[in-house]
Amino acid sequence: MDSQIFELRNVHFSYLGKFPALCGIDVEINRGEKIAVIGANGSGKSTLLQMLDGLIFPGQGQIKVFGKELKESDFQDADFSENFRKKIGLVFQNPDVQLFCPTVREDILFGPLQLGMKKKEIEARLEEVVGILGINGLLERSPHQLSIGEKRKIAIASTLIINPDVLILDEPTAGLDPLTTRHIIELLIDENAAGKTIITSTHDLHIVEEIADRVFVFSQEKKIIRSGNPCEILDDIQLLEDNNLIHVHSHRHTGKTHTHPHQHLEHHHEG
Amino acid sequence: MKRHSNNFIEHSLIGTLDFLKESLFAEEFALKKGFLQLLDPRIKVLTFLLLIIQAVLIKNILILFYLYALCLLLAAISRINLGFFLKRTWVFIPLFSLVIAIPALFSIFSPGEALVTFKLLSIKFVITQQGLSGAALFVMRVITCVSFAVLMSITTKHFELLKVLRIFKVPQVFVMIAGMCYRYVYLFIGIIENTYLAIKSRTGTRIHYKRGQQIVAWNIAYLWSRSYCLNEQVYQAMLSRGYTGEPEVLNDFRARIKDWLWLFCVLGICAFLFYLSRR
Repeated sequence: MDSQIFELRNVHFSYLGKFPALCGIDVEINRGEKIAVIGANGSGKSTLLQMLDGLIFPGQGQIKVFGKELKESDFQDADFSENFRKKIGLVFQNPDVQLFCPTVREDILFGPLQLGMKKKEIEARLEEVVGILGINGLLERSPHQLSIGEKRKIAIASTLIINPDVLILDEPTAGLDPLTTRHIIELLIDENAAGKTIITSTHDLHIVEEIADRVFVFSQEKKIIRSGNPCEILDDIQLLEDNNLIHVHSHRHTGKTHTHPHQHLEHHHEG
Repeated sequence: MKRHSNNFIEHSLIGTLDFLKESLFAEEFALKKGFLQLLDPRIKVLTFLLLIIQAVLIKNILILFYLYALCLLLAAISRINLGFFLKRTWVFIPLFSLVIAIPALFSIFSPGEALVTFKLLSIKFVITQQGLSGAALFVMRVITCVSFAVLMSITTKHFELLKVLRIFKVPQVFVMIAGMCYRYVYLFIGIIENTYLAIKSRTGTRIHYKRGQQIVAWNIAYLWSRSYCLNEQVYQAMLSRGYTGEPEVLNDFRARIKDWLWLFCVLGICAFLFYLSRR
């Protein structure tokens, strides 16, 4: 099928051969989709994203990318490797991992230079990405001088400059202030509208409806326990509670004590 | 006693981290808009190497003194605080030269015309004129070389220095590792500082030294484990963006007329000093 980008069948993966991280994952992702992967900490979201980016490979099961089975040995072919990295980009959860160059400019240019893009094309893309993310003033600074929000923007820029067909983001809004979060959500919506496939893992349930057409819910057993459209998933309070995505808590405001499931969607219903 | 020991560890740790931050990461002078800061880093490094080589070859103390004066003049027009600069450079002198220069003063190593004679523990020591001038020349040469090296490093951003290394054909992998070390040393300084504060907030100031040793040992192990983990993740992040073993870099330096003028000026100075020393 032409429109299918990823197909995972009964995929298992474990770290050091003894710590399971994915147990029997079945996933299909099509071109142009917006996908959210939600789940508690340690449920396997990041492992899945790294597998989609061809950084780790199933211990058992099969992963197909663009209709072809993906194997570790495929990356020994320089053309395949270059083509794959141009098409699929991953923004890591920890921006300090992704920003390893002495300056922001060098970090952003690292990908295009490795992938053999032409100097003029790189300069044009740099200007475009810098404009989209509003990071012009940061180019000559060292990554260690930046705030977490700025680091996340630079990490996104360093992947976005490659102009991949598939953009994978591992918790891109974690720990960010509301304004930066909004900026990133709008960026993801725009990139999807421009034709990119967007796959995002997140804990932020209140952004899921905007960044996803389809949601995969991971359980603590490292399995995808449910998938469906965002409304279906977010309305299933029991599912979210069982998988540590919301919790019941008490708090006090306007002079009254409330006890209810902690989820941000409630505020929208009130409004 | 325990309080002293804790304070000693605290002062050493904080002092070391502050020194690292100030000396490696501040780039206070490199960001100023002085003469040297505005030069093309390639030409600056090349000309400073020429000046250092010149200082090594010159055998006349007066000419060395002129060269040192030139260095101080360059520092001044590059908006470097001279007090700071002298402190930063002279601190290396005992380290690099006094150990060699002091014995050279005496007649045992530098026979010649006696200048001062004294007895210590009934042993007769003679400082000779040849010894004194040799030691003075040596100290002057070291201070001139160190001053040029320090001036170059404090007026150049560290990433520009790394780029210059690449241009001078130092292997890319080596330069990249050096850059990454710089980048992640800062991250680990932050982790050490926060870990120290976290320990302090839970243990107070009084702690038995054995427990203190255990905590420090555990933290060293923890830091090693963090760095090992980070190393794997960084490599994955590099692979994800197309890294295949040989890093590609962009050379975006641009030499202007001012840079070429400075290069010719230094070549002229070197030729003139060479002529003076041969006369």
